[in-house]
Amino acid sequence: MRHDIVLDGPAFRLRPIADTDAAFVVALRSDPRLNRFLHATPISLDSQLDWLANYYERLGDWYFVLERRCNGVPEGLISLYDLDAYQHNAEWGRWILRPGSLAAVESAWLIYHFAFEQLNLREVYCRTVASNHPVVSFHDSCGITKRTLLPGHFVLDDRLDAVEHRVDEANWAALGPRLKHLSHRMARRIQYDNI
Amino acid sequence: MDHEQIKTTVLSVMSTVLKCEVGEQASRENLPNWDSLKHIEVIFAIEDELNFQFPEDMLPALNSIERIVNAAEILYAA
Repeated sequence: MRHDIVLDGPAFRLRPIADTDAAFVVALRSDPRLNRFLHATPISLDSQLDWLANYYERLGDWYFVLERRCNGVPEGLISLYDLDAYQHNAEWGRWILRPGSLAAVESAWLIYHFAFEQLNLREVYCRTVASNHPVVSFHDSCGITKRTLLPGHFVLDDRLDAVEHRVDEANWAALGPRLKHLSHRMARRIQYDNI
Repeated sequence: MDHEQIKTTVLSVMSTVLKCEVGEQASRENLPNWDSLKHIEVIFAIEDELNFQFPEDMLPALNSIERIVNAAEILYAA
């Protein structure tokens, strides 16, 4: 949905996606190093603009561009969506970072921070293609303990299993400080090298 | 500290952070739990142990034991 939320982390920022980002989205989603586990959605500029037009009208869906604070260069994309206002939960995903980006930890921390500290959600979940081992491992490494296999959840070329990681408020209280610490330490490095 | 000592240190740090046995052929390709969070923990732990800092632009390329050891050797000697 259209929103004006900007979230500044130590080195990176989440800002609302706009039509002017469509080419960036297409470039990321067309990169064969990145799109192996993505839904086979159309990737032309026009179709992306159509997708964004629908997204702007969809409530409970916040799509962000992740960019470097020091120079505004975009590094990736991330979203929080499927808000359930009754259950106070939502899913995060559409997470894609340019190859070599150092923003993984900070972007995860920022989206959790948004969900728990700004929207006051009680639970956030993320579903990953089970064979996408690096990303499944990333969520495990965050310290997420609620982990469920969802057989055949994703439909790409075939039906693929998903691993669902769920973070509740108590888990966020435990894992948030570690993600924050790592984000700040990485930020000192990034800022130092860019001065 | 020579090449072998640096390699031993790197392997020890890696095994501790990744909580598994890490051999000198290990890379992010063949070690799935060497994910992007563990990657920065590994890098910070090696820097703390060897008392230097990898340049930012070098970090994404440090995706194998061989590359880390080679880079560490140069930085340690500098």
